[in-house]
Amino acid sequence: MPQSDSDTAKPALVAQLSGAAFSWPGGRGVSGIDLRVRRGEVVTLLGPNGAGKSTILKMLSGEIAPQDGSLSIFGEAHGSEVRRRIGLVLQEPSTDDLMGLRETLELHGRLFGLRGSRLNRRCAELLLSLGLGDRAADRCETLSGGLRRRLDIARALLHEPDLLLLDEPTLALDPDSSAAIWATLRDRVADGAAVVVCSNDTSEAEANADRVVIVSDGRVVAEDTPSNLTSDLLHDALELDWLDPSPDDVAALECWDGVGAVMRSDQQLLLTVDNSAQIIPQLFQQYGSRIVGLRIRESSLRDAWFQIVGRPLANDERDPS
Amino acid sequence: MIDAAYASFALLSRDLRAVARSRSQLYSSLLFPLMLLTLLGTGVSSGLSPTSPRIIDGDYTSYLAPGMIAMTALFSSTFSSAGFYRDRESGLLRALLASPHSAQTILFGKALGAILIGALQALAVLVLAVVIPGIDLAWQFGWLGGVATVLLTILALNFMLAGLSLLLALKIKTMQGFHLIMNLVLFPLFFLSGAFFPLDEVPTWLELIGYANPLTYAVDLLHYASYADSPDGLIGPLIDGLVLGGLALLLFAVGLRRAPRAV
Repeated sequence: MPQSDSDTAKPALVAQLSGAAFSWPGGRGVSGIDLRVRRGEVVTLLGPNGAGKSTILKMLSGEIAPQDGSLSIFGEAHGSEVRRRIGLVLQEPSTDDLMGLRETLELHGRLFGLRGSRLNRRCAELLLSLGLGDRAADRCETLSGGLRRRLDIARALLHEPDLLLLDEPTLALDPDSSAAIWATLRDRVADGAAVVVCSNDTSEAEANADRVVIVSDGRVVAEDTPSNLTSDLLHDALELDWLDPSPDDVAALECWDGVGAVMRSDQQLLLTVDNSAQIIPQLFQQYGSRIVGLRIRESSLRDAWFQIVGRPLANDERDPS
Repeated sequence: MIDAAYASFALLSRDLRAVARSRSQLYSSLLFPLMLLTLLGTGVSSGLSPTSPRIIDGDYTSYLAPGMIAMTALFSSTFSSAGFYRDRESGLLRALLASPHSAQTILFGKALGAILIGALQALAVLVLAVVIPGIDLAWQFGWLGGVATVLLTILALNFMLAGLSLLLALKIKTMQGFHLIMNLVLFPLFFLSGAFFPLDEVPTWLELIGYANPLTYAVDLLHYASYADSPDGLIGPLIDGLVLGGLALLLFAVGLRRAPRAV
């Protein structure tokens, strides 16, 4: 794959999409996607339901081919040898209820060419590291959602892939399961693998991603490290439950000293401010009758998302495409 | 090539294990033909006293036996093919297709499971037919030749059905729809195959439909191999074999060729 001079000092490119586009029947899809993923980094595709994150992931996994633009993985077009180096975790747990945990791993290990002692060793290592060691002989039907997810991760890691593609791997999981999964992924990244994760959880992206790619309406609208994406925001974020917020309210508040971005959704205004202790009394003095709720927190990637895309990102959305 | 064979074998082992664990599938696949042989066979033999020269000595139970072998292959192979839907709905199929192997290799491995399971269950019915007193099978090609012919017929039939199932499964999105279509297709095929009545003794229009039915050639070959006591049969083993083998190759190849990577 051709690389510019500035690329040569950086870790090797693992995956590159250039101007990639794909349309599903019915018109949804992605277009003009430019994405570079390098060795040893975690890239989070952040976006709401239907934004196009899973479509990008499907292009990277080879399940669909870009209808326009180009894709290269490990410097090659997609094919058997490329897939051999990819680990994939789908949005939903994808295990056979009638199979045992170890059997599930063994089947996938065999499909990826693992045999004999190496296969046994990898199965044992992963079952242990993901807290499934004592369930190895159990059938998948006996597993909780969190444990099924861990098994999905174990399966994806079994053949020591250089590129891991994960579609909302920790969605609806308890904190322990999420932590176990991220610890395991971090180990793999430390060994040089690249990880691409689809998510609509800004906290998780902020905590784990080296780079966040914001996807909205089938396009990449921003891409940077979490800290750079939030660096323009003022220190505090105020979430105000506001009776009938109007564009005039937004325009008026934007003129206040110490107020940065002002974002409006249905019955809510979100402000990033320098110092909430100074601003809140002023707000109640002027708009007290319209403020019915207030939450204060530090500005985060969630606010950066709001500022960039212009609407809030619901954390509980799923992405079907 | 070795990798692909290894992958197909891994998928085959997994499907065989799944069936071994599904006791109800195992038992029902044997009990249903056994029930038909016992009840329908005895009932027709005793109550209707069939006089067709194709039904040797009026023994309808024995006449029915080759058809029951075909039926078992037919339904258990189709039932196993429905596992495609189970794997698609669970997401497992997508995970399998993300492996380094071609979609053809993955689906070939899965089809092998359906084919082998159908064949083993059909052979189990053959064994039952051999050991049940009152069922008289005639091995005009010799015992070894007869069993070999039965085995090849069952395998060809199951390859054909696997190809047909694959083609339908790629078109029909739900398991309910698949079962509905398969029942609509399979029952008429089965009833008009010569399994229940000799095709040369029905009205011409029905006989002609029977000759257009691929299953007829399988049932006819099974009759030659395990039941008929003379080579003077309905169609002829060579034509039966050519038609069945040709269709099996054609449908299975077309089914695999259309396999997509995304499901």
